[in-house]
Amino acid sequence: MTSSASRYLPFRALGELSETRYWMYLLLLPSLVLILLVIAYPTLYGMAISFREMRLTRPGLDGWVGFKHYAAMWSDPVFWIALKNTVVWVTAAVVLELALGLLTATALNRDLPGTKIFAVLILLPYFLPNVVAGHMWALLLDPRLGVINDILVRVGVLQTYKAWFADPNAALAATILVEAWHGFPFFALLLLAGLKSIPEDLYKAAAVDGAGVAAQLRLITLPMLKTVIAAAVILRVISLVNSPDLLLILTGGGPGDATQVLSLYAFQTAYKEFNFGYASALSVVMFVILMIFAVAYIRMSRITKE
Amino acid sequence: MIESKRHRRMIANIATYIVLVSLSIFCIGPMIWMFLTSIKYEADIVTQTMQYMPSRITFDNYVAIWTQSGFPLLIGNSLVVTLLTVTICVVTGTLAAYAFSRFAFRGRDQLMLGYLVVRMFPAVMMIIPLYVVMRGVGLVDSRFGLALAYTSFLLPLFVWMLKGFFDSAPKELESAARIDGSTRLGAMIRIVVPLARNGLVASSVFIAIAAWNEFLFALMLTTGQGSRTWPVGLQLMVGEFQLPWGVLAAGGILSIVPVIVLFAIVQRTMVQGLTAGAVKG
Repeated sequence: MTSSASRYLPFRALGELSETRYWMYLLLLPSLVLILLVIAYPTLYGMAISFREMRLTRPGLDGWVGFKHYAAMWSDPVFWIALKNTVVWVTAAVVLELALGLLTATALNRDLPGTKIFAVLILLPYFLPNVVAGHMWALLLDPRLGVINDILVRVGVLQTYKAWFADPNAALAATILVEAWHGFPFFALLLLAGLKSIPEDLYKAAAVDGAGVAAQLRLITLPMLKTVIAAAVILRVISLVNSPDLLLILTGGGPGDATQVLSLYAFQTAYKEFNFGYASALSVVMFVILMIFAVAYIRMSRITKE
Repeated sequence: MIESKRHRRMIANIATYIVLVSLSIFCIGPMIWMFLTSIKYEADIVTQTMQYMPSRITFDNYVAIWTQSGFPLLIGNSLVVTLLTVTICVVTGTLAAYAFSRFAFRGRDQLMLGYLVVRMFPAVMMIIPLYVVMRGVGLVDSRFGLALAYTSFLLPLFVWMLKGFFDSAPKELESAARIDGSTRLGAMIRIVVPLARNGLVASSVFIAIAAWNEFLFALMLTTGQGSRTWPVGLQLMVGEFQLPWGVLAAGGILSIVPVIVLFAIVQRTMVQGLTAGAVKG
């Protein structure tokens, strides 16, 4: 009896502690410590690195250099190309994904028999790893044995097989297609949930008033979905700007710098050249641009709402 | 009038099915093609005329990826890293999500917003300092170090998702337990967590899939066989050995099977958790 009581003593002490008014802070403590350790500290440290010379390949080179990296960026042609490509790539991918997502969500929302199976199939790409998605599409688009080339030649769209990732314009377009395939289920997911939250009565009332399908879409669906669309777009833009994975696997930024984006340029500067100072400066600039975009976008979508 | 309305509905239904079927083919087609490639002989992959259905089937590609490369080791490392990540997130994240869901305290909203904002930090911006810091404490090329790095972007996500599930768990049972003399801790462990069980499982699976798939952190933070995960291993194999397409496809199929199985099991609850936050605004 006594032994079992003493065995549960720690639990009992914790139970008593849970009655104090500091309990919620104690609950938050472990995750907070972890986040400070793996996010806050590295972030501040990373910003500091951007003002320093740090090359792992040349350990002698070290010390504060002020804005040297930022000045170098200004006259670095690759930086400007990467910035332009980032804007093009992210905009095209998000627009395509939003359109496909809206189409999917509208179709799924009609709740016809068998819809559930379609929903599972359509969501699947979103959960596939970039490495597999990348190589899968590299196989599909291969210049010698890609099945997409074969189909396009059979249908008559192409005369001969095309080396999609060798031509600068085609390469950018092809990577946008792969990204859209990978990312549009995310939009479908959020937009479908948004559509389901619109009360059915609104449509009935509109139908009684004689509004057609187009008018219902313009006057009810899109305004009601505005918040969801805004949230989905901002989340997707953030993750697209931040993650170079797919481009790293598909093209490595090539041919030339045709598919070079900021995140990839920063990663390669760090991973290949071990030039941590310049890479950090690149990612800080990317982060600042993203922040400005996010604030402006949120403010804009709020103003139009009111 | 009624006749034409029914007619219109029928056309709309057919159009809906056409859209759904085409989108499903767009989504699933590439995966099916990869599977077909994985069971073809290399000679049937590299042919003059495209073979759509394999004329003969082989499992040599699967045997090759499993025995001739360090693939089992890579899979093992990925499993360990994934389990560590999920464990860290579940232990620390459940407590935080519960606190956010059940208590009003000063700084709560700001803190929650803070958890969201950290997701905006570019991965590259985190990777460089994490690499330097982890090299300093000997955590580069360690599975635990990689799992710690993963919590930097997965823990905030987990907390937000799970908070939604805790919010929708009824509070009456908890109050009843409290009246019966249970401590807050007792009520949380015995009542609230079991009530939000499905949500906990779905959030954990979401974290697990993300950790299993992750490529960029793993590429930078692992350098050797001891901790390298399968996405990095597979990518390096393609670069180093000019991996044959069939073998690569087999590796891809093997590594996405766990993802597809987990996704199929919990997709409904997971979708619910993913969308809750965005729809509420």
